[in-house]
Amino acid sequence: MSACALQLIDLHKSFGATPIIRGVNLDVHQGERHAIIGPNGAGKSTLFHLISGRFPVTTGQVKLNQEDVTGLAPYLINRRGLSRSFQVTNIFPRLTVFENIRCGVLWSLGYRYSFWHMIERAQDARERTEAILEQINLGSRRSVPAALLSYAEQRALEIGITIAGGAGVIMLDEPTAGMSRSETEHAVALIRKVSEGKTLVIVEHDMSVVFDLADRISVLVYGQVIATDTPAKIRANAAVQEAYLGSASAEAEHA
Amino acid sequence: MIADRHRHLLLWAAAALVMVALPLVFSSGASITMMSLMGFAIIFALSYNMLLGQTGMLSFGHAVYYGLGGFLTAHALNVIGSGKWPVPLPVLPLVGGLAGLSFAIIFGWVSTKRAGTAFAMISLGIGELVAACSLILRGFFGGEGGISTSRTSTLRLFGISFGPQIQVYYLIAAWCLLCMAAMYAFTRTPLGRMCNAVRENPERAEFIGYSTQMVRFIAFCASGFFAGVAGGLAAIHYEIVTSSIVGAVPSGYVLLMAYIGGVAFFIGPIIGAVLMTALQISLSDYTGAWSLYVGLMFVVVVMYAPWGLGGLLLMHQPLLAAGLLKRIGPAYARAAPPVVMLAAAVVLLVETAHHLLVKAVEGSAMRVFWVSYDAKSPLVWGLIVLLFGAGIWALRRVMPGVSDAYHAAAQEAQRLRSR
Repeated sequence: MSACALQLIDLHKSFGATPIIRGVNLDVHQGERHAIIGPNGAGKSTLFHLISGRFPVTTGQVKLNQEDVTGLAPYLINRRGLSRSFQVTNIFPRLTVFENIRCGVLWSLGYRYSFWHMIERAQDARERTEAILEQINLGSRRSVPAALLSYAEQRALEIGITIAGGAGVIMLDEPTAGMSRSETEHAVALIRKVSEGKTLVIVEHDMSVVFDLADRISVLVYGQVIATDTPAKIRANAAVQEAYLGSASAEAEHA
Repeated sequence: MIADRHRHLLLWAAAALVMVALPLVFSSGASITMMSLMGFAIIFALSYNMLLGQTGMLSFGHAVYYGLGGFLTAHALNVIGSGKWPVPLPVLPLVGGLAGLSFAIIFGWVSTKRAGTAFAMISLGIGELVAACSLILRGFFGGEGGISTSRTSTLRLFGISFGPQIQVYYLIAAWCLLCMAAMYAFTRTPLGRMCNAVRENPERAEFIGYSTQMVRFIAFCASGFFAGVAGGLAAIHYEIVTSSIVGAVPSGYVLLMAYIGGVAFFIGPIIGAVLMTALQISLSDYTGAWSLYVGLMFVVVVMYAPWGLGGLLLMHQPLLAAGLLKRIGPAYARAAPPVVMLAAAVVLLVETAHHLLVKAVEGSAMRVFWVSYDAKSPLVWGLIVLLFGAGIWALRRVMPGVSDAYHAAAQEAQRLRSR
């Protein structure tokens, strides 16, 4: 068995008296694509916030590459090699596409808080930015302010910022939400490309995306992981069918 | 890239040349004094914009670093003068800068832990705290009389005494150019860009490896340093520093300068500083209500030109480049009469009211625009109402045309450029 890139040990989170995450144990292996699915309100986004340091953990532990990162600030977790995207597009709206990506590469190239380098002369930052623009296919939009991009382009930029720092663990929160079928196909191809050789954790509602992309799937229901397995076995799992698909069909009736 | 760098050098060389040549054109004592004031106002306003425009931090207490820089420079001048230390005057603004930096490290460590409204409130609190201290700690702040000093008692280099104002002007101009270049360079460093990122979206900045608190803190320290240099130059210029320099008035004034000029552009605060200094000095010769005009201008800019005067100017730069400026001329000319009418109405109203309220003892006879009239005459008040009414009515009619003309020209300019 390969080493764990990300390990959650008996993770709990309560907001006031309300428990949202109720003892999650999860091992994400080095280099795998791991999807987290579950009905609305299961706590998927909260789990992301706990792992990435945005919310403080109530009890339990988060380990990144065997190192305890529980309670660290987001920027410290990011520097240890975990980068995430957001469910609601979270970019630098008035900066250009190029600047958005370049901001994402600066720390990893060692520029830190430098005010003694001229940024235009930072060849490595420029080259890395160019390479990422190429990957996310926004090269022709480089000088457009990010706020003026189309929705799908903004989602691609969101992924671009996330991977810009070269983190080994990439976490994407519903990267295809709100996209059309063809946009989703593009996004999946993009995600497959950029997560090559990395560990990917993805929250996604679109089941075709999940079963297409993931090596393993965890099912989160009411703050607990009820199953973690390969897509084929998850599909056949009776408990998952009952808990997840049952409530999904209930949701469909609501909608 | 190379061409771009040369263009920048050329621009800075031109700025230096203008600064050298200005006293030859405007050689009167009053104008050299005014240009000296502009010099350190520019540094102060630009340092403020490192916070507001670049990093998105609204400070209500920036005069603390300006003022303390001034006080420390004055004290240093006195120590150097009495001890006959071999220190030349031109390096003394550095004392102000280091003082500003030191206090920015102390106060910034506390206040940059928060952003947004909390930061603004903390800056206000620190401003009030230091202003209160300035009245209590009489030894350091000199009480009501302030701290007087003399700039001529330092070591002379090349026989320059810095007695005549023109020599002080060149000292201020040199520091102004140096600080402008340094602050401009700051915007083009990795940290300068991360300041923008923190302004745009602090949450996201945290998730790409940057502590927003650290980014804010370093920007705050740099800003404090340059404010201190400006304060040091002010101390050298006035040869006296009083406690009012650390108070709420200069803190508000620097906000007005930056905002009226435009906080989104590097050149904005420079425009604001030059304009506000000129207005303050020349308007105060004509009217006691000058600060009211400045306030009105601020309100108008905030409401109708949120990008400031610099933003308005830069809006027209693509048109200028495409040679389309003359196309919008007629539309702008049509807007001129109503604007003039409104301006006249405002001036008449303010001056007449100011005369009646403040100068009542002088009787109701007064002069505005070389015309003498009676402040209590119903004719005047009728004229004011008429000018307001007609001005607003006409402006509302022509403004859509102005806006259409501008957008048509801007689109045309963009089409020409992309071809």
